[in-house]
Amino acid sequence: MQSANMLLRKIVRSSVLPFAAQHRMQKDLFLLSRTLSLSLCLKQDKSCEPSEKLDLDEWKKVMKSGLQEEVSETVSEPKEVSSLAAACETLEMWRLAGRAVPENISEEQLKTFMECPSKSAKKKYLKYLHLKELHKKNYKRKMDEKRERRLEAQDQASKTDETKKSPFVCMWSSTMDKAYNWRAAQSMIFGQPLVFDMSYEKEMSVREVTNTVRQIVLSESCNRRSVDPFHIHFCNFKDDSLYHREFIKQYREAWGKLLITVTDQCYTEIFPKDKLIYLTADSPKVMKTFDHDKIYIVGSMVDKSIKTGVSLARAKRLGLETAALPLEKYLLWSTGGKNLTLDQMMHILLTLKDTADWKKALEFVPKRKYCGVVSRPVKELKKTLDLVNTLKHGKGQEEVQKQFAKSYPKK
Amino acid sequence: VQPPEKPLQPEEWNKLREDFQSPEVFEEVMLNSMIRCSSPIDVAKSLLTYLAKRNGDIAYNVLVKYLTLCVQHGQVSEIRDVYDIMKVRFKILESGAYNLLVKGLSNSDHWRMALTLLEEVKKIMVPSRACYESCIKAASRHQEMKLAFELYDEMLAKDVVPTLDALQSFFDFSRGMEDAELQKELFGILLYLRENQIYPHKTFMRSIKLWFESIPGGNWRGHLTNIKDSGQCPVCNHQLEDSNLTEEEYSNLSERIIRDVIHGSDTFRKTSPQEFEAFQTFVENRLPFDVVIDGLNVSHIKPKRMQCENLFDAVNCLAKEHARLLVLGRKHMLMNSPNWKREIMKEMQSKADFFFAENISEDDAFLLYATLRSGKHCKFVTRDFLRDHKACLPDSLTRHLFRKWQRGHQISKKKSFSFVFSKQPAFRYDCVVQTTGDTWHIPYKDVFEEKYSYRVPRKWLCIQQKL
Repeated sequence: MQSANMLLRKIVRSSVLPFAAQHRMQKDLFLLSRTLSLSLCLKQDKSCEPSEKLDLDEWKKVMKSGLQEEVSETVSEPKEVSSLAAACETLEMWRLAGRAVPENISEEQLKTFMECPSKSAKKKYLKYLHLKELHKKNYKRKMDEKRERRLEAQDQASKTDETKKSPFVCMWSSTMDKAYNWRAAQSMIFGQPLVFDMSYEKEMSVREVTNTVRQIVLSESCNRRSVDPFHIHFCNFKDDSLYHREFIKQYREAWGKLLITVTDQCYTEIFPKDKLIYLTADSPKVMKTFDHDKIYIVGSMVDKSIKTGVSLARAKRLGLETAALPLEKYLLWSTGGKNLTLDQMMHILLTLKDTADWKKALEFVPKRKYCGVVSRPVKELKKTLDLVNTLKHGKGQEEVQKQFAKSYPKK
Repeated sequence: VQPPEKPLQPEEWNKLREDFQSPEVFEEVMLNSMIRCSSPIDVAKSLLTYLAKRNGDIAYNVLVKYLTLCVQHGQVSEIRDVYDIMKVRFKILESGAYNLLVKGLSNSDHWRMALTLLEEVKKIMVPSRACYESCIKAASRHQEMKLAFELYDEMLAKDVVPTLDALQSFFDFSRGMEDAELQKELFGILLYLRENQIYPHKTFMRSIKLWFESIPGGNWRGHLTNIKDSGQCPVCNHQLEDSNLTEEEYSNLSERIIRDVIHGSDTFRKTSPQEFEAFQTFVENRLPFDVVIDGLNVSHIKPKRMQCENLFDAVNCLAKEHARLLVLGRKHMLMNSPNWKREIMKEMQSKADFFFAENISEDDAFLLYATLRSGKHCKFVTRDFLRDHKACLPDSLTRHLFRKWQRGHQISKKKSFSFVFSKQPAFRYDCVVQTTGDTWHIPYKDVFEEKYSYRVPRKWLCIQQKL
């Protein structure tokens, strides 16, 4: 008996038994095993048994069974739902379906969502909110991690308990601020004016205005920190305009204390016309040098849709001189618009003012937009570049050779 | 991931899932590849069973994916089951699931359920054109033409553009029916094609032809043909509508071009008020012109030649046939330069009127204005498609007018031109669906998707009624 038992165990342990059970080849052996009360093996067997026939619709039962209570719940709820709640539910379903939809949405955002004129506008808005939410979450997570690390570091520091002594006074940011503000105040008296033309509100959507204001805030801060700041003027600035509201949102109480000039007047009313130069990428004239006696005007506009010639039109109307940055001259342009953001513009102008070095100034043009900096005029280079390209592609060998002979005559 | 060929045991699924690099998205990835490979439905079922056992619930997106597979295989009972489950489990569904359900059910005997679903969709959003298409097809397949037309009208009222397939199904399923009302509705669809300058593709055209020929007692006969350049149909000798706009359309278009293209939001963007005024007086004093030439565009035809020579050829060539020419250019052309020789410019100016705009102004806008102002006989020469100007027109109706006018009045060059200036004439006839009551002429596209929207079809279906 015992030997038989051993034998059985062996069979069970090896993978033969499930196979055997499936094919019912050794019925008698099976019976024997039951009498031997090999309960452990039996359990294993049971899990294998349905392999005979898999109940494919079992998931339906599971889905339906778990629902009975929920059904009664939904019935008890009032049928009347506001359009806001309905939209909220649709959003939830989209989120479940795996679309780019934010997890939490405020009532205001929901209203903006419902006011979107088309399906694609809705989709875009939701995606924007979704990404914003993701960024926020990531930022929060990083902050938490940082705080933990700092706490740990503090713990260790307190253990060693060692006080550092430094010969220098710790420069607090408030001290720095004071120094910066002193400089900015000086620039308001002696500095070169730089005008931001705030008359583009009508050409922009709400989001474009928000972006514009954010870019101006960045440019203002980098101006404040520079060695020799501009005296910034916001011209054509209307009180309680969208710009104004966005600025207050960004600066809060600091808005009243900024060391800049804000006016609803036009720049032509403040400055002599012949000193003004409107900077616009559409200008046919290319800026050669930075003139310290001129007053440059930058249009405060972000155009996500294509609006060519809007700022050029403004300058033409007022009869002002215009200029564009010599991007083509110094950079081998690859992709992207020639219109730069306002803070890049500010960086470039500040560098030009301090150094008059175009190459250094144009370093603030995003790297993705150009493929190289050039010393010779681009036109000349283009000829050689074309030549290289034709050589590479092997088109019209003879012609290329002729051209080559022409441009590089034998000595 | 390669989906398995046979239904798997939960343990086997578990093993697959654990081997997968990111187990969280295993079921999604697996179902996606099942949809791609069109796997048997049982395999998906076994996966769902595994999931149900594992989590006690199945996520919505997984259910939708399963539904996609069911629709792909046309498993109607399964679709209904999934719908029942979804309906109980979730208060409302989202558009993706509704689209699938409508599509799946409309192809079955339960097509009326698709209609009730469409009603449900309407409560939360504007149904997609695909949704409408399925319902219209289902209704017309079951000879419920009235219902189908109701849906069609509703679609148009909601600014949803009907698909060509939906329109085609109307013709396919009304074949041989004797119903004056229905006939009127179908003519209405043809007029819709006309108004929106839509060209049917070959199979759609065939459906239209067959429908016409099947009208009992109608005696309609259809022929495929090419229209002559003169605008005459070789089959019925009927002269097609000419490409001229009506008085009202013409004045409407010129008004809109001045308002939206030249002035736009700011006159200074393309020109300046002083310049435009100067141009206007210039044009008014010399009206009417026969041909207006875009000088700069024409001067670039052959890149190897001097630019003014190109223009000179064009002016010479056109001056032979036409009396009054106007060439539009920019001021820089007057400066003596390697490309613009003063003597040649002088000679040209004796043969044609010239207007030079500021170097930063847009001369195209002037081209349009001068041509429109000169009257219906006046043509213009440029290779430019003028798309950017068309885009300045805010509504589609005016854009269609612009296109039509452009087709009739623009002379452009053939791609492979010979050494002399050769021109491609403007169309004399209008290329849209058109009727005279006892004849119909319908232009059609040879291929399903025409690549270039500016190309108009050269093939026509001519249908005439023999009484």
